[in-house]
Amino acid sequence: MAMTHLVRWAARAPAPVYAAIGPGRQAEVERLLTRPGLNRAKTPRDAAILLVAGDLPSSSLDALNRLHDQLPRPRTTLRWLDGDQEAIAHRITTALRALCDGAAGEDDRLPDTPANEWKGIGPHGQGGKGMMGGTPYGRPMAMTGKDVRDGLQLDRYTTRVGPFAPMLPPGLVLEVTLQGDVICEASVQAAPFAQPAEADAPALCAARMLRLLGLDAAADRVIRGRPLRAAWVTGAVPRGLARINDTDARDRLSAWLRSRTVTVAPPDLAALLPGSEWSEAMLILASLPPSALIRAARATEAA
Amino acid sequence: MTALLVLAVLATLLGGTVLAALMDRAALPLAALLTRQRVETEAPDRMNRDLSSAWYLALAAIGLSVVPFAPGLALIDSPVGIVIWGSCEALVVVTVFLHGWSPNAPFPLIGAYRYAAIGLPIMLPSMFVLIAAALPAESLSLIDIVESQREIWNVLRQPLGLPLFLVVALAMTLRGPMDYADAADIATGTSAEESGAARALWQVARLAMLVSISAIAATVFLGGPLGPVLPGPVWLWLKTAALMALTVWIGNRVARTTPDRMLTILWVVLLPLSFLGLIIAGVMAL
Repeated sequence: MAMTHLVRWAARAPAPVYAAIGPGRQAEVERLLTRPGLNRAKTPRDAAILLVAGDLPSSSLDALNRLHDQLPRPRTTLRWLDGDQEAIAHRITTALRALCDGAAGEDDRLPDTPANEWKGIGPHGQGGKGMMGGTPYGRPMAMTGKDVRDGLQLDRYTTRVGPFAPMLPPGLVLEVTLQGDVICEASVQAAPFAQPAEADAPALCAARMLRLLGLDAAADRVIRGRPLRAAWVTGAVPRGLARINDTDARDRLSAWLRSRTVTVAPPDLAALLPGSEWSEAMLILASLPPSALIRAARATEAA
Repeated sequence: MTALLVLAVLATLLGGTVLAALMDRAALPLAALLTRQRVETEAPDRMNRDLSSAWYLALAAIGLSVVPFAPGLALIDSPVGIVIWGSCEALVVVTVFLHGWSPNAPFPLIGAYRYAAIGLPIMLPSMFVLIAAALPAESLSLIDIVESQREIWNVLRQPLGLPLFLVVALAMTLRGPMDYADAADIATGTSAEESGAARALWQVARLAMLVSISAIAATVFLGGPLGPVLPGPVWLWLKTAALMALTVWIGNRVARTTPDRMLTILWVVLLPLSFLGLIIAGVMAL
């Protein structure tokens, strides 16, 4: 009986959607996910529906499969090709209801085994020899290096993020070397997917920054063209962050909130990101209009 | 009477958590989480992963157990109730750290360390405002602190106290401008790898902590169960619910700055401000 109630409530909850956004579809997806009844999941672990918008290049299919397997069961994948918002919203809610009604959902696309055997020692596999640096058992381990700020020796950890990471523009793959959450080195492994000019719309650009500032409701309101209703918005963005063409991230957010379009010269991302903390770096990327970011990443990638 | 007080604490925690879920519009999504699979990361610290949410819930319950539901009546009538609550706050930092540590993944770990960095400077203003509230009562007991507010509530006598404590409440419940553990830029940080019932339990624990810290704030700054006509527990529930609503509202409306900048604000602005409040309260109590 309790399970029946639970399933009924689950079917009435907003559908948790994680979007894998392809070329040209960023603006449409961002507008779609502000609709009542849909919930934009901030991590694949919180989603039941994987929305694949547009035609993804074959180079990102491996990443899509990994993303798919990160969604908990029961899960389902929907492809959105035509741009009809009403139709896809209906398909999403129908798919969620089917999952709640006991539909089996999709199996893993990749084998559920570690790429390399885990050989840690101890009750939690936490120990072993050679725990500093290198790639023991296929796993990259942190190794000490000079801190970029004060020269102390701190662990450096290198990882790739993207192309469907929730905090990065769709398509962008960054290889970052972190000390704590400070970026020491960054390189662009894949540029963001090309997007039409609509993705540079002030409301959409402002909403991307608002989400990083923890203002999801305000972001949805801005996209729907309603008043902001939030406090300390521009003030929360540090002064001097990503200063390009005499405007910094705060200035650009301020302009977007006044419905002004912003154009900036494409910056050198590999020079812009190192030295900033992860949250600052994400604000920097969100403070660049997609058109400038795509040109910047392509230039960096080519270099 | 003890059984009644145990019931009161549990009912307040349960009812308050449901109310908090409704305020957050999280009730249905929480129910939906229970129908989904719990995914395992590779080589997690299973013991701490399972215990962290339980600790968080337990700390909310322990914090609530020192709150007087009527004048002179608390489940744990401790002469150092404020210190018990202070230890709960400190252990929340440890719990959130363990929650981020245990999945063995980068974003949760970043969230864990960030929260530990924010945790220390948020503890100090918290302790200063609570000690300032204890000075007029000349006692660390929450029952005595309630008694000391019969003529004037601490929110009026020490106007800096409640606003500063609300910042602490936002940090203890991982909310809005103080949510550095589960922020969007790290894909919900310490929760980034959690799904299904485990994710739901962590969210429930956050909501339960909101009930507990709001009840403490209502007790320390708004006279707790003191009030005319209505019985003491009803006054406590009303004041707690009002502070919960205020915390949720601030959490949804105020932007979150970068952790580095928040650390500067905490050390350079909020900490000296809370110390100033303590000095003024000390001089007035002389």
